[in-house]
Amino acid sequence: MNKPLYVQYYKFLSKAVQGDLGRSYSTNREVTSTIIQRFPATALLATSALILSTILGVLIGIVSAIKKYSFVDNFSMVFALIGISIPQFVFALLMALIFGAILKWFPISGYITEGWSHLVLPMVTLALRPLAIIARMTRSSMLDVMNQDYVRTAKAKGLSNAKVIFKHTLRNALNPVVTTLSASLAATLGGAFFIEYIFNWPGIGLLAVDSILKLDFPVIQGTVLFSAIIFVVINFLVDIVYAFLDPKVKLS
Amino acid sequence: MSEIQEIKNRITESETKAGRSLWYYSWKRLKRNKLAMVGLYVLSFMVFVAIFAPWIAPYDPNDQILEFATKPINFKGEVLIKKDLGSNNELQYIPIKKIISSSGNDINYIDYNDADKTISKSELNEKTPFKTLTFLLGTDRFGRDVLSRLIYGSRISLSVGLISESIAIVLGLILGALAGFFRGTTDKVIMWIINVVWAFPSILFVIAISVVLGKGFWQAFVAIGLTAWVDIARIVRGQIFSIRETEYIEATKAVGFKSPRIILRHILPNCMGPVIITGTVGLATAIIFEASLSFLGLGVQPPTASWGQMIFDGYKYLIAGTNWGLAVFPSLAIMITVFAVNLLGDGVRDALDPKLTK
Repeated sequence: MNKPLYVQYYKFLSKAVQGDLGRSYSTNREVTSTIIQRFPATALLATSALILSTILGVLIGIVSAIKKYSFVDNFSMVFALIGISIPQFVFALLMALIFGAILKWFPISGYITEGWSHLVLPMVTLALRPLAIIARMTRSSMLDVMNQDYVRTAKAKGLSNAKVIFKHTLRNALNPVVTTLSASLAATLGGAFFIEYIFNWPGIGLLAVDSILKLDFPVIQGTVLFSAIIFVVINFLVDIVYAFLDPKVKLS
Repeated sequence: MSEIQEIKNRITESETKAGRSLWYYSWKRLKRNKLAMVGLYVLSFMVFVAIFAPWIAPYDPNDQILEFATKPINFKGEVLIKKDLGSNNELQYIPIKKIISSSGNDINYIDYNDADKTISKSELNEKTPFKTLTFLLGTDRFGRDVLSRLIYGSRISLSVGLISESIAIVLGLILGALAGFFRGTTDKVIMWIINVVWAFPSILFVIAISVVLGKGFWQAFVAIGLTAWVDIARIVRGQIFSIRETEYIEATKAVGFKSPRIILRHILPNCMGPVIITGTVGLATAIIFEASLSFLGLGVQPPTASWGQMIFDGYKYLIAGTNWGLAVFPSLAIMITVFAVNLLGDGVRDALDPKLTK
């Protein structure tokens, strides 16, 4: 610890590339193994929330785009704007209050080992923001595509409405949605900090917040590094997926 | 007069002449957007409240009356006011449950320990010895007025939001402009920094910086500003890439203007639209980040009132079902502010970019 900063940093780096992130100040457990052990909880929460938000978000986006400026459209777009405006921890608290403390439908804290109902509140809370963004995205990119010539051609051919929407419009409108989705996935797989903290969900996010509150530096370093790695890896994978989805994109 | 000189004069003239600019038409479009105007009004109201907080707030946000801790909405508490002893100018409250009798020189009352006590009238304030304090939104665990703390909290939220976003815009403009204008190695170095910052989930990066800098007010906005500039820088860089290829920039170069003048007077004003759009979105994010930081205890330190911290304090009472207001009111305050900023941001985007409005 009394070596100069760059020597310490060099030591940290050379150990980190070997997978050794040091030991926690408070529990003296290896940071790497703690992170690996915590990862499944975060992965479960992130994927389930994103599946939920994609399905609902795309549906809401389609309906809003088709019924532009209708009551449904205005309502869902204001709802989406609210969804973007609420800080995650505030929404988490409201969910905990309404469905946990007042209605008592779902448990407020804990992991699925005590029953799957523990997943509901954190999942719904985490899904809100991506859902709102995806709904807005789908709507605006559907509107873009609906003005294209080939959609008009498809309509002129006499195709059914459903076919025009799902085969010709939606397919082409989904690209920006994939980008949003990947960004959310990359961000949440590194740990949904506030949601995991409030619902006491034993994932990376809870680990990160706990270590910050305890000033447990090896764990803070480890979780930050882990999130960054996840972020880069996911973005890299998404670029590859993109090249398959969209022939216009070429991998150089 | 040579032809070049004439062109030079014309460009110089266009630099100083305002005219009916893009801004004039954008402002007209913005005014027609009802939702955006609602956002603007709400935001102006918030700014007004923040600036005039000392005159609007019913009580000092840090005045503690421990006997009145965690009282519900519209709680009315009775106090006797002690005489102002001059030296420390604070009013001294004696919270009481009931006055039994006030005959002659003494007042007989029951205090919050249910003890029967007597106090001489000469010890009390002459004008108003007795007062009923109303706490419209209840009190927190130290018996501080929630409404006053909310009002003072708006100062922290708005100022951290504005300052950090200003830092982000200035940093983003400078670095984005340098990268876009000079390209080559400068661009590579700046893009490398941008990509490094981008590789972290931004809230994590904010938290990490503030852990390094320590807890406090300025640390919060430095941390947020250092994270948020990358969005601006990328936009500015992209804009400049396209603007520098236009003919009017070529003209400024042809007549021999220097780089700083071209950047400041001809390129930057033309890429301000997207910067303002990104900036408003960034303001909303910055307010959320500030609240998140103080929720974790990393932002402004107690006893200064901040919304995130109020939510953190009130959370336990909400879960326990004893006093929901402590967490819900600051949550609402954050939501309304961010919602207003987002409404305004959407409107500004539509107003500045007519291509998007359908």
